[in-house]
Amino acid sequence: MAESMKNYHDSLKEALEDSFLRKTLDTFAVQYKVNRANIFADMNATELINEIADHKDKAMLKLDELYQQFVEQASKKGLHIHRASTAQEANDIICNIAKENNVKKIIKSKSMTAEETHVNHALEANGFEVVETDLGEWIIQLRHEGPTHMVMPAIHLSRYQVADTFSEATKQDQDSDIGKLVKVARYELRAHFADADMGISGANFAIADSGTIGICTNEGNGRLTTTLPRVHVAICGIDKIVPNIEDALRIIQVLPRNATAQAITTYVSWISGSSNCEINSDKRKIFHLVFLDNGRTSLLKDPKCGQALRCVRCGACANVCPVYRLVGGHKMGYVYIGAIGLILTYFFHGHDRAKNLIQNCINCHACKDICAAGIDLPGIIQEIRARLVEEEGSPISSTLLAKVMTNRKLFHTLLKFGKFAQKPMTSGKFVRHLPTIFAGDQSFRSLPAIASESFRDRFAKLNASAQGTPKVGIFAGCAQDFVYPEQLESAVKILQAKGAGVAFPYEQSCCGLPLQMMGEREAAKKTAKANVDAFSNSNVDYIVTLCASCASHMKDHYTELTGDDPSYKDKTAKYLSKLIDFSSLAKNVLKVTEDDFINRGAKVAYHSPCHLCRGLGVTKEPRELIGLAGEYVPTAEEDVCCGFGGTYTMKFPEISSTVLALKLKNVEEGSKDGIKPELLVTDCPGCIMQLRGGEHKHGDKVKVQHISEFLGHNLKSK
Amino acid sequence: MPGNPGTIDASAVELFKAKAKLATIVIAEVKDLAAAIDYAIEVTEKSELGKLMPTKAGTIPPSDPNRKKTLTAPSISDADYAVLAQKGEAKGFTMIRSGLRQYLAGIDVGFTVADIGIAETATSACENDSEDYRLASMISETHVLALAKSKIVKTSYDAVSYLKEAFGREHNYTSFISGPSRTADIERVLTLGVHGPLYMHIALMEE
Ligand code: SF4
Ligand code: SF4
Repeated sequence: MAESMKNYHDSLKEALEDSFLRKTLDTFAVQYKVNRANIFADMNATELINEIADHKDKAMLKLDELYQQFVEQASKKGLHIHRASTAQEANDIICNIAKENNVKKIIKSKSMTAEETHVNHALEANGFEVVETDLGEWIIQLRHEGPTHMVMPAIHLSRYQVADTFSEATKQDQDSDIGKLVKVARYELRAHFADADMGISGANFAIADSGTIGICTNEGNGRLTTTLPRVHVAICGIDKIVPNIEDALRIIQVLPRNATAQAITTYVSWISGSSNCEINSDKRKIFHLVFLDNGRTSLLKDPKCGQALRCVRCGACANVCPVYRLVGGHKMGYVYIGAIGLILTYFFHGHDRAKNLIQNCINCHACKDICAAGIDLPGIIQEIRARLVEEEGSPISSTLLAKVMTNRKLFHTLLKFGKFAQKPMTSGKFVRHLPTIFAGDQSFRSLPAIASESFRDRFAKLNASAQGTPKVGIFAGCAQDFVYPEQLESAVKILQAKGAGVAFPYEQSCCGLPLQMMGEREAAKKTAKANVDAFSNSNVDYIVTLCASCASHMKDHYTELTGDDPSYKDKTAKYLSKLIDFSSLAKNVLKVTEDDFINRGAKVAYHSPCHLCRGLGVTKEPRELIGLAGEYVPTAEEDVCCGFGGTYTMKFPEISSTVLALKLKNVEEGSKDGIKPELLVTDCPGCIMQLRGGEHKHGDKVKVQHISEFLGHNLKSK
Repeated sequence: MPGNPGTIDASAVELFKAKAKLATIVIAEVKDLAAAIDYAIEVTEKSELGKLMPTKAGTIPPSDPNRKKTLTAPSISDADYAVLAQKGEAKGFTMIRSGLRQYLAGIDVGFTVADIGIAETATSACENDSEDYRLASMISETHVLALAKSKIVKTSYDAVSYLKEAFGREHNYTSFISGPSRTADIERVLTLGVHGPLYMHIALMEE
């Protein structure tokens, strides 16, 4: 059943008001990053992740062959192998195994694949008793809830809630001391281990060349589940097949480090064939393996989204997600959670279930940056949005926007008209009264007014010289062209001071990111081509943009968006090779030095825009630039999203505003040694809209500037 | 088998010890298996009498208030077990060699010998197809494991030939153990001994 968007918003609100959840996930988000950095300290994580991605891709290409090899090897060793094409089929197979073996009680160790098929429901409906033995899973089973994290399923619960749950389960008052609660589980579950007839486990790996499965656990319940009962059923997705032990060991290098910042899980069990089991007459375990397809084979053939099958279920994409941090797993996934949860819900659990969830991504790239398998998670999320638009048609608002934005003249005329329409509502640089469609929801930060004169109208009056080296073409982007032209003007001032020539091709338009985010693929293609055309005759050495989001969108998507027309191949490649962000241009090409600026000693904090630090990998330059013209004050979580995300802030204001509040708190608190910044500098106009608007509501404690404004303001006049 | 018999990679051993500390493993350095057996006796003697699981499960024997400490070592050779048993009984321990399923209410100390060690993660690896062997390292409150220094390799990739040989057998259950059983499932607070041992000791043997 499809949940309405309104219900989804209501449930988000509920999650945002859960103060325990908020506190826990906040602490976790901060600690996780520190711990992860430490555990990877003497390793090259990027290289390992690239290797995993590469090997996974290769394995997926010959999956049929590997599957056959696994079956051949494992059958020789007494393993019964089943293949289920749907969740229902898998559950039927497992219920039948239980029936055939006269099973009464079943114990389970943690398996996301078993969650995916909801096997517990099926087994219970058939009269079997099922007991989860992973501590977190047992807690949520007793509470009749689903997991809220793929690795720590009960992360949303406090010790008091667990104590209540255990008191009820044991009919005895339980202390809320965590050590004692763990003991309760040890005692209670040991009894279940002792008299269970069948154990169900997942598998992290199915090794083709030896027919071995590998299971990683910390608690040891996996080892007991596969040892004590007379029957063992393992369930795993066909995507868990790897060619050999080397592949499994490589994944183990990253999986536990990414999941819980551990070098390795306490236990890894490698099971080849049926192991010793004293209570069976032949002293051998009855051992079945159910391979689940459930949409994986078709996902495999999906050129854009197939890489989702690389996922090793480390859960890290949730750990770093600013949305997950606020609302937790029940609202950020269905069975699978976090970025991969949004994606797999669409492929495994139906488009209706995914429809609202898939919209709840700010596109901050934090997940992509950390993924153990190097999956382009935000890219796939956007692709799914596009497919949903194609399947179901666009909402009226988005069709309208797509129509307007692909017609540059109309779009620009409307923007100019907007500045008259807003007149009675503006006060200085902000919109005073919001048009009613925004009222309420958007009131957490002031919205900027459209500039009285756009950059494209001002450019001619600047008398900027096109002569000079290098020759730099300006890609303005809508926000700076129409809302913040002064940021571009400041950049022109610096360019000219350093002897560069400046050009501004007028035919350029919106970069198309808002269209991409809404899934309006055709419109995004048109704007991409218009921009490539606009610059193709301009003869510039660089195309600079002061908007990190425009730059990263163009870099990531223009090749594909213009790819359906072969005549764009070279043009687009050339365009992208010239593309550069302002900070890199200033620092590495114009080579500005402290001699170019008057350093007034201003204390300056920095917000690292998602699309600059992760999208383009630029982190050093802006901080160095700040140091040339002021004093850089490091603050906490500089690279965490500000919550803007373009259209996201309009769709999910309740989350956008909370992410913003966290950001401003970190900035206002200042550095570790107590230095409070007076300025907050960043290099993306979207972030500025969000941060400046938020600070305006906050009493303007810290002034927000684009790095070009900050540098321009302190530039020595020659 | 990785590592040349008898040769010790000193840097791997040092790395193993450092990583073991991070994984809350207690390290003892001993001369040989006989000394490791003495160490297991010593650990049992010093350990507190483990609390039996007060459970309703059928296969668990009712707890006995006057019970003696239990020590199990199902996987060592008959000769070695004879030595261990003699020393254990002299200390008044109940010695268990097989049928560990009957002792799910808990055993105080389980003693096993690992095949190889992987330094970078303080992992001990062993082929333990026998269920008693597996249970000794799971249902004991304290797990004492003996590992020859000469069997310690640096990375898991150095253990590939060992693993391939093991996985090639008709039946095989190979375990990596890298510390006591742990969980952080309640409020992310690290807690030891959820299903398996609460404590883990490794006796590193010179020979
Ligand atoms: S891009 Fe950012 S907001 Fe979107 S799923 Fe990834 S981490 Fe979450
Ligand atoms: S998508 Fe990547 S980060 Fe997320 S769980 Fe899978 S492997 Fe881990």
